[in-house]
Amino acid sequence: MEYIGEHLLPGQIGRLLIVFSFVCSILSALAYFLGTQRRDLPEATSWKNIGRVSFGLHGISVLSIIGIIFYIMTQRYYEYQYVWAHVNDDLPYRYLASAFWEGQEGSFLLWMFWHVILGALLIWKAKNWESPVMTVMALAQILIGSMLLGLHFGSGEWEFKIGSNPLLLLRDTMQAPVFANADYLSLIKGTGLNPLLQNYWMTIHPPTLFLGFASTVVPFAYAVAGYWTKQYKAWLKPVMPWALFSGAILGTGILMGGAWAYEALSFGGYWAWDPVENMSLVPWLLLVAGIHTNLIARNTGYSIRATYLFYALCFVFILYSTFLTRSGILGETSVHAFTEMGLENQLLLLIMVFLGITVYQFFKNYKSVPTPEKEEATPTKEFWMFIGALVLLFSSALITVSTSLPVYNKIVEVFNPDHVAVTIQDAVEHHNKYQLWIAVLIGILSGFTQLLRFKERNWKNYMPKFTKHVLASALIAGVFTYLSTLWLTIVAWQHLLLMFTAIFGVIANLDYLILFIRGNLKIAGSAFAHIGFGLMIVGAIASGLNKHHISSNPFAQRGLLDEKLLDKNVLIFKNMPMFMSGYKVTYQNDTLIGNERVFNIKYEKMDQDGNVIEAFSVRPVALYNNEVTKVAAFNPSTKHYLHKDIFTHIANLPEVEADIEARHRMEDSLKFVSHKSLIGDTIFTEKFFGIIDDIVRNPEHSEYEKEENDIAIGLKMTFRRPGFEQGWKAEPMLVLRKNLVYSFPAQINDLGVRVKLPEEIFARVFDLDQKLDYESFTLKEGENVHFNGSKIVFTGFNPNPEKSDYIKQEKDIAVGARINIEDAEGQAWYAEPIYLIRGNQPFNLKDEVAQLGLHFKFLEIDPKTQTVKLGIAQAEQEDQLIPLQITEDALRSDYIVLETIIFPGINFFWVGSIMMMLGLLASMFHRRKFA
Amino acid sequence: MQKIHIVGLVMIAVAVGVLISMMSDVVNYSNFEEAISTQSRVKVVGVLSKDKPMEYNPQKDANYFSFYMKDDNGLEKQVILNQSKPQDFEMSEQIVVTGSMKNDAFVADEILLKCPSKYKDEEIYLKKEQQKI
Repeated sequence: MEYIGEHLLPGQIGRLLIVFSFVCSILSALAYFLGTQRRDLPEATSWKNIGRVSFGLHGISVLSIIGIIFYIMTQRYYEYQYVWAHVNDDLPYRYLASAFWEGQEGSFLLWMFWHVILGALLIWKAKNWESPVMTVMALAQILIGSMLLGLHFGSGEWEFKIGSNPLLLLRDTMQAPVFANADYLSLIKGTGLNPLLQNYWMTIHPPTLFLGFASTVVPFAYAVAGYWTKQYKAWLKPVMPWALFSGAILGTGILMGGAWAYEALSFGGYWAWDPVENMSLVPWLLLVAGIHTNLIARNTGYSIRATYLFYALCFVFILYSTFLTRSGILGETSVHAFTEMGLENQLLLLIMVFLGITVYQFFKNYKSVPTPEKEEATPTKEFWMFIGALVLLFSSALITVSTSLPVYNKIVEVFNPDHVAVTIQDAVEHHNKYQLWIAVLIGILSGFTQLLRFKERNWKNYMPKFTKHVLASALIAGVFTYLSTLWLTIVAWQHLLLMFTAIFGVIANLDYLILFIRGNLKIAGSAFAHIGFGLMIVGAIASGLNKHHISSNPFAQRGLLDEKLLDKNVLIFKNMPMFMSGYKVTYQNDTLIGNERVFNIKYEKMDQDGNVIEAFSVRPVALYNNEVTKVAAFNPSTKHYLHKDIFTHIANLPEVEADIEARHRMEDSLKFVSHKSLIGDTIFTEKFFGIIDDIVRNPEHSEYEKEENDIAIGLKMTFRRPGFEQGWKAEPMLVLRKNLVYSFPAQINDLGVRVKLPEEIFARVFDLDQKLDYESFTLKEGENVHFNGSKIVFTGFNPNPEKSDYIKQEKDIAVGARINIEDAEGQAWYAEPIYLIRGNQPFNLKDEVAQLGLHFKFLEIDPKTQTVKLGIAQAEQEDQLIPLQITEDALRSDYIVLETIIFPGINFFWVGSIMMMLGLLASMFHRRKFA
Repeated sequence: MQKIHIVGLVMIAVAVGVLISMMSDVVNYSNFEEAISTQSRVKVVGVLSKDKPMEYNPQKDANYFSFYMKDDNGLEKQVILNQSKPQDFEMSEQIVVTGSMKNDAFVADEILLKCPSKYKDEEIYLKKEQQKI
């Protein structure tokens, strides 16, 4: 079939480039491999040049593929599956990048992109190391690039595929009746980016994290290169700045994830020991361990093998983490893993290749790696740093084992189909319990080891000074720990110990910074990083241990549930203040902006006498899906203080507000009673009575956005409860837009009254006029006529007429005719039809006295004789009645369920983590000069 | 024997000890039958019984949500969650709840939903369909 309007060229070029870039990466890896193997021969340079050129071509292809995907995304070419799945017409340009890496293929490309950039840097800077290092880099590109190939082999049960191509056509990936139509493109539209990801964090977090992921290949490549070329010591120097860079970026990427979760998602915290988080933390821990042993090896010659292993494991675990998050294996344990794509085997192969290289090289060279004759002395920096690295390894092992239970289940299931899957009962509690001791050890070690010296030769002389400083630091830490208990509630001795060791680490490193290196900022990176770690732990204890919900309702009846399960959520009605834990909280209003409903919630802190001492507002958000029919997520809003955060998020909305289908169901289930009434007459419902005050031609409603050519009718109504003065206003409305009728009912939540207008109201307003028989009268000011028993007086002109259905425009000439009416019973009424000249065209806007059924038109004006021509008509009473529907059983929908959490001291965590990353970066710049 | 080897051995010993102690945190995915017989805290996997009523009335209690769930063995029990109703609850393919039996209901304080992926079973959006609404 010939399809209409498809753009096939970008796809053809792109698919070609995918294959081309794959071939180039193979060529580059081979050339660099031979360049390394024959490094002592003259031909080595030629091999290196071939490697360079093919890597360059590979890089250009990768960039072009990315460019093509961006191009087809900006053009909204929905014939491509990837575009269709991630973009829609409404997606703002600033989220295009997020849409690009939302999918697995895009994120693989992002990874490859960073490898290309890093590869270019290495070609430029790595000098002698280029060939072996780039061999590893190109090998990584081959394996990751294969994920994009999208080749299918075999069929039926034996069908398997290599990679998933991001440039396939939608009609090739999916079978749907719509493709029977040659013009199917005019019928489809994109599904768009998940609203949760339409967020600036999604723009900055993935590229940072993937740069972190991508950069871990460099330390690994140097380690492989060092062993491969038998330069067991030489690689330790150039690898250092790369490892520090990787540590800083990967760490930042992980922390950004935490900050995203805390700031913009409703996880209620920054770290949840979710498998996806764990498995990005583990490579970072291994990398940090590697940086430490690298430092030992550089200074003393010990720990070369450990450094090799740490850097290699770091990269292997990056791949393992990729496998876990992308294979769908975590489905039951993680909230945010990708779903299955059939690439599991390929991902496994990726791990196996690099694990194989690691194991092979490590054991092959085990004996050849030089080690100092003498073993390291106990009171030296190298000894305790090594212990520290082992602690990190230990931490990684514990996290990995617990997180890998789903893998264990899968493997056992293969051999024993009846295997009952196992899992960790309470993951957060479990990890905290064990990692607490890791943090305690790190705190102590990072404190006193900093004060030790490499290759200590004169311990006897140094020991008193060392002891003095350690004891002083411990003493000061003790004082601060005591002070912290005045601020926080710390009950368990383990937590007290953790607080103490964290502060000890901070103080000892401050000591080192000030008294040992005398504030020399060039070499202060490590001190800063360790101070940062200590502060992070302090922040984690404060905000984790002492976080508490203030959104609890003390009056709720909770017979069934455990005492320990504290209430987390509270319900508040609009404009009805709620008192909770010293705050008066008011849900003031909400507005819909695009697909975000923003709630305005005011907090007023009260003192004991009930005076407001502080007031602020937060704006949590209910995020609707792209069609604005259903709430997709709730985003929190946080009030930040220096010493604490007040975190507010909406836990729930009334179902009718959260889901348009629920609203339709509710609307259908309500028993509306039809009424007909004249303006000004009283309508009696079972419990209340209401009066129609007026018909409105330009009505307003909180959910109604005016569009051109809309025809809208609304009513102004007042409801009262018998015996009470107070009146409740209701303004239901109905809109006719392109043959479709939209109803905007009005609800009075205090009464449970809901009013909607039936379509007949259009007939009442618009068709009535055609039935009327206008009789015309020419009147001077003050003259009167008698009409159907009423005396009608034209009392004069109004040069500035105001009426609900008249919207003034510039250059309008409008005049109203004031008409006083006295009916048969002697009651007085008033009407004011308008005569209007707009753009040389005369119009008249009628008026009516609904109670009498009298309609007035201002037909002509004669300036010479000072007369007006009025059309007056009498309507049948039956035709004057306004139809409307009222129910008294509407459920309240003006409330929200609120969750408010106080996180004390959370800024310690953020400040500490930023210090740690800056410390790593500072060290990188310092080491770069040596390299 | 070098000191570092002693340290290594100690660490291995500790590691073994810790791993063994870690096993106490590992549990089988359980079912309602076990939850009834042991009365202890367990994790139960199951699916939502869509024909049975769900109750969430925040005006009465914002922290009370109840529904019926069928575990993997087909046993159906009421589950009471002391939280607000999770988003997209009806769409879940699989539910994992953590808690214990109280009287005849399973009282849970933790819930994990497995929702269908974005692409699976998804119909192509038709502009025509949209215009009908």
